[in-house]
Amino acid sequence: MSVALQTVRTAFLEAWANRRGFWFQVLIMMVNDVAWVIFWVLFFRKVGALRGWDTHKVLLLFAILTTCTGFGLGLLANARRLGELISGGGLDAALALPTNPLAYLLTRRVDTALLGDLAFGPVLFVAAGDPTPERAAVFIFGALCGSIVLVGFLVALGSVTLFAGGRGEQADLGFQAILIFASYPVDIFGGLTKLFLFTAVPAAFVTGLPTRLVSSFSWPEAAAAAGAAAFFATLAVATFNLGLRRYTSGALWTRA
Amino acid sequence: MTAAVAQVGFSARRALHQPGELAVRVLFYAFILVVFAALWSAATRANGGSIAGYDVRSLLWYVTAAEGAVIATKPRMIETIGWDISSGAIVTEMLRPASVVGLRLAAELGEALVRLACALAVGGVVAWLYVGPPPSAAAAALAVPAAVLALCCNLAAQHAFAGAAFWLRDARSTWFLYQKLVFLLGGMLLPLEFLPRPLADVARALPFSAMAYAPARLASGHVDPALLAEQAGWLVVLLACAAGVFRAGERRIEVVGG
Repeated sequence: MSVALQTVRTAFLEAWANRRGFWFQVLIMMVNDVAWVIFWVLFFRKVGALRGWDTHKVLLLFAILTTCTGFGLGLLANARRLGELISGGGLDAALALPTNPLAYLLTRRVDTALLGDLAFGPVLFVAAGDPTPERAAVFIFGALCGSIVLVGFLVALGSVTLFAGGRGEQADLGFQAILIFASYPVDIFGGLTKLFLFTAVPAAFVTGLPTRLVSSFSWPEAAAAAGAAAFFATLAVATFNLGLRRYTSGALWTRA
Repeated sequence: MTAAVAQVGFSARRALHQPGELAVRVLFYAFILVVFAALWSAATRANGGSIAGYDVRSLLWYVTAAEGAVIATKPRMIETIGWDISSGAIVTEMLRPASVVGLRLAAELGEALVRLACALAVGGVVAWLYVGPPPSAAAAALAVPAAVLALCCNLAAQHAFAGAAFWLRDARSTWFLYQKLVFLLGGMLLPLEFLPRPLADVARALPFSAMAYAPARLASGHVDPALLAEQAGWLVVLLACAAGVFRAGERRIEVVGG
């Protein structure tokens, strides 16, 4: 654990070394997020409420999404690049270190731009999410569960490269799919697509369920969110470790 | 000119030889269409079948053309060009007896045309399956050249935008901003008719509408050939801007050093 914390600290210091660049990227991402807020405001202004969703609720969803991407992919930036790292030989450098290779790889790099999301999400929640101590606690719980599902899903997909080879294209596709589906209210989708979002591409666990928990908390749904987080975390670790048994080498020597 | 045409061919073949990347992008585009099909179906049903003159069929064909035209370009091209300029890698291209920006545009155009063809083919099938054929065959026929013009405008604008890196130390992250301008003011996410009137007027006066709105408006069944003329006009302006920015930037490197 302490090794992982030290690695995150090093990754932070590396990003922080160019402070002007750091703040610029954070700011640009926040401006990017504001553009999405404008989109939703314009959309609901024209369309009106939609299956129980209005501007207010969709901004709550967006606050959870940006917090999840900021926390999950900003702090653990390599989660979405695992397949690419494996195919590029980045894993070999991590295997030579006396630490858990998955934990090391995940904490090795922070994505400065996505840290802008991590700053924006809570701010948006405070501005548009009717924050109370209870709702804030559920927001943090939901965002944490959503982040774990997001990272777990991407790590599991990236680890498929250990079995199937390739350059991690499946992880790229999974990333794009989960992000696009998580960006929209889950209730606009019909039966089969909705089932898809709770299983194959678990976008509903990243934003849909946490948003519902913050809007109207229920213990069974909270247990479902926690269960999904536990499942995807286990799936990620198991897929990576199983793949590692088959892995020989990328025959390349690089820095992870 | 011959070199540029050859470059288009080379890069188109290169794109075809990277089926993994092409498949990821086209599948991503298909996911977007699935999401928008659900979103606009729900929205039009909640509004009596039509919003601002668009029904679900015209909206889905709108999204198919708008997203297809935009997704055909590399999302982070501005970042890549900015990196090539700030790292000095562009200097080697200046040694060639051909226009730097001309060859770069040709290379990007070749790849983008392949992606556009694949995206529109897949998008056409998805949209057809969801809502049936395009609302107007004539308008759909005009939408194809409009999509190509939209692509060219987008490439030229991205090169002009990225050229700022000749003067700024780090202009790479500005691709986020450019992308959002195309998304919102270009009419990629929402038809411009959905925007408040003053904002829609501003958007119509800017070049971003030539990159998404024009082909999308045609694909949604509105036969308006004037949109093609507008796109052609913007293309000339944007190409001149890109060439001007690169000429001035290259001159700066020659004088100050890379």
